[in-house]
Amino acid sequence: MRARRRELLLGGAAMGAGAALGRIPGLGSGAAVAAGAAAPAEGELAESFAFDGAHQAGILTPRQRRAIFASFDAIAPARAELADGLRTLSERARALCTGYDALLGAPGEGPTPDSGVLGNTVSPDALTVTIGFGAALFDDRYGLAARRPRGLREMPAFPDDDLHAAESHGDVIVQLCANTDETLLHALRDLSRATRGVLGPRWKVEGFLPSPDRESGAGRNLLGFKDGTANPDTGNEATMGELVWTGREEPAWARGGTYQVVRIIRNRVEFWDRVSRGEQELMIGRDKARGAPLGRAAERDDPDYGADPQGRRIPLDAHIRLARPRTEATEGSQILRRGYNYSRGIDEADQLDMGLVFVAFQRDIARQFEAVQKRLAGEPLVDYVVPTGGGYFFLPPGARDSQDWVGSGLFI
Amino acid sequence: MRARPGAACAALLAAALLAGCGGGGDHDEQSTAAANPPAQPLEDLVRLSGNIPRVRDADFARPTAAYRRYVDGELRSMQGEIAALSAAVAAGDMAAAQRAWLAADERYESIGAAYGAFGDLDAAINGGSGGLPGGVRSPDFTGLHRVELALWGHGSTAEAAPFVARLDRDVAALRRAVPTIEIEPLEYVLRGHEVLEGSLDLQLSGRESPWSGAALRALRGNLQGTEVVLGTLRPLIARRSHVVAERSEASLAALGRALRRLEGDGGSLPRWDRTPERARTEIAGLTAAAAEQLAYVPEVIDPRPPPARKSAIGAVAAE
Repeated sequence: MRARRRELLLGGAAMGAGAALGRIPGLGSGAAVAAGAAAPAEGELAESFAFDGAHQAGILTPRQRRAIFASFDAIAPARAELADGLRTLSERARALCTGYDALLGAPGEGPTPDSGVLGNTVSPDALTVTIGFGAALFDDRYGLAARRPRGLREMPAFPDDDLHAAESHGDVIVQLCANTDETLLHALRDLSRATRGVLGPRWKVEGFLPSPDRESGAGRNLLGFKDGTANPDTGNEATMGELVWTGREEPAWARGGTYQVVRIIRNRVEFWDRVSRGEQELMIGRDKARGAPLGRAAERDDPDYGADPQGRRIPLDAHIRLARPRTEATEGSQILRRGYNYSRGIDEADQLDMGLVFVAFQRDIARQFEAVQKRLAGEPLVDYVVPTGGGYFFLPPGARDSQDWVGSGLFI
Repeated sequence: MRARPGAACAALLAAALLAGCGGGGDHDEQSTAAANPPAQPLEDLVRLSGNIPRVRDADFARPTAAYRRYVDGELRSMQGEIAALSAAVAAGDMAAAQRAWLAADERYESIGAAYGAFGDLDAAINGGSGGLPGGVRSPDFTGLHRVELALWGHGSTAEAAPFVARLDRDVAALRRAVPTIEIEPLEYVLRGHEVLEGSLDLQLSGRESPWSGAALRALRGNLQGTEVVLGTLRPLIARRSHVVAERSEASLAALGRALRRLEGDGGSLPRWDRTPERARTEIAGLTAAAAEQLAYVPEVIDPRPPPARKSAIGAVAAE
C-alpha cells in the first residue's frame, strides 16, 4: 500500500501543479498532492490527499495504515443548525487534511482552540475524512425524507448476525484514515468539538493494517489469511463507474456518491487457532501460507472454478467461492472492499475481542453487498465470525471546492 | 410542570440578579461559528474595545451570597425529603422510600457548584464506594448511595434505616455550616462548566447511581444548579461578552428541553440504563455541548490564570 501511495506521489509531482489534480476527471480526489506551505512537515507526515473533488477521498484512495470509523446521531434542534454543523464538519476536515499551525493560545485566554495533541504543527499525514449519512437522517426530524437516496435503508440483521444497538447504525458516519493513530485521534477530537451540539457520538471502532513491508500482495486479516486479493481495479474508471459511483438512478444531489457498508465482524480467534490448517483452508478456499487459491500457485491466480465444478479442490461452500463465484451472472455483484483489522478488549469469557471492520463501497447495496451476503449465509466460516455492529451509509459526492461542503446538495 | 420549590427559587433568583442588567447591549461580537479553528479563540468572543474594569473580588460578593442563600434553601428542602425517606423506611414502604430518595438525590445534585467547599461532609453524604478499601462493604461507605444500594440493590428498607438516620444528621450539619463555608470567587466561576463535566463523568457514565439508574434525575439537578450559578454570574459575563452569555444560556435551555421531552407524570424520568440509545446520545451530546460553551465563562469574567486548586483544606469536617 505504501509503495502504491509513493507512486501516486511521484506521479503528482511529475504532473506539476499538484493542487489541480484533485479536479481532473477520473483521478477524482484520489490523487495525492504535495503538501502546501502551511505544513512544514517532511516525509510521511507531509503526504496529503485533497479533501475536495468529484468524489470523496478515502474510497478509491489506497488504504492508509490506520482508521477510525465514528458514527454520530444528529442532535441539532432544526434543519438550519444541522446544515451549519455539516458545513463546519467539511471546513474542519479540509483544514485537517491540508495542515496548519496549531492555535494554542496563551494562559488567560481560555481553553486552547487546538487540543495540542500534535504539537505546534498539524501535519496532514495522509489524512482522509469521508462523510456519509444513515437512513435515519432522512426520517421526519429535518424534513429530508423526500431527499433520501434511492438505495438507502437501515442495515437489516442477517441470520448469522448478533447486532448490538450500541455499535450499530447512526445518522452520520465519519471515516478517518491516516498514517498514524495520533493524527486520527487529533482529527476526531477536533471534528467532534467543532460539531458539539449538532452531532452526538454514537459509536466508534478503530482499525489497523499489517505493515506493507511484511509481504507483497494483500494484507492478512486476524484469521491469518490474505484478505482483499480479489478487489476490483480502482484504476479502471469504467469499472468504478459500474461498481462504485452512483449515477442517474439517484436524485441529482446524490450522483457521484457511493454506498458504504460497515460491518464490525468479531473473529473468534482462540477457537480459530485450534482448527487444523486443512479445515481452515477448506473454509476459506485459499492456501494459508501463500495466499493462493487452493490448487493454484500464486495469490492472484484465477481459482478456475470452471475446472472444478464439483468443488473437489475448492469446496462449493468455501468463503472465496461463495463471495465471488466468478460467473458472468455474479460479476455485477462485486464490491470494493476497504476494511481494517480491529482489536479492543476482552469479553466476559476472557476471550479476545478482535476481528475485521469490514468496509465495502458499492453503487447498489441490494445488487452488490446483499447479493454477496445471501450467498454467504450459512457458510462454514460463520461459526468463527460474528457480525456485531456497523451500518449502511450513503456517501455523497465530494465538495466541489473550498466553498462547498459534503452534503450541501441535500439542503439546496 | 412539576411544582418544585427549588426550580421556582432558581428562576426567581436568576431573574432578581438579572434585573438592572441591560439585556439588549451592543452585539458587536462575532455570533456565528468560525470555520477555523474548532473552538473559538477567546478574542473572537469578547468585546475588544472600550474600557472594561478588571474584575475585583468584591464583584463576586453578590453572586456568592446569592448562591449561598440558594444552597441553604435547597438543603432545607432536602431535609424535608429525607424526613419523608425516613418515614417510608420506618413503615417499610419501598415505593415511597425510593420516591423520596430520588427527590433527595436530585436535590443534592442541584447544589453541585459548592461541593469543593463541603469537604468530608460531601463524601459522607454523596460519596461512592469506588475509592474505599473494601468497596461497598467499607464502613466509610455512607450517605445517599449507601441508601440507594440498600433500597435498589438489596431491596431492603430495614438495611437502609441506619444510613438514612446518619444522612439526616450529616445534611443538618452541612446546613449549619453553609453560612461560614468559604466560596472562593475564582473557583466559583470554574464551577460553571465543572458541574456538567461531573454529570458526564459520574452520572451519564452510570457510575454514581448504578442501582437506581437515577442519572437523568441527577442531571436535571446539575442543570438547575448550573443555571443558578450562571444566573448569578451573568452580569459579569455580559459586560465582556454577550455572545458567551447567550450561547451558554441557549445550550442549557436546549438540554432542559431534551430532558423535559423524557419526563413522565409528576416529573418522573426513565432509568438511564433503560433510556433508548438515540435519547441517550442526544442527552449526552447536549450536556457536552453546554459544557463546551460554559468553558469560556471563567476567562471571560477574569482573563487571569486560575488560582491553584484548593483541596479540602479549610473545609468542614464530617461528624
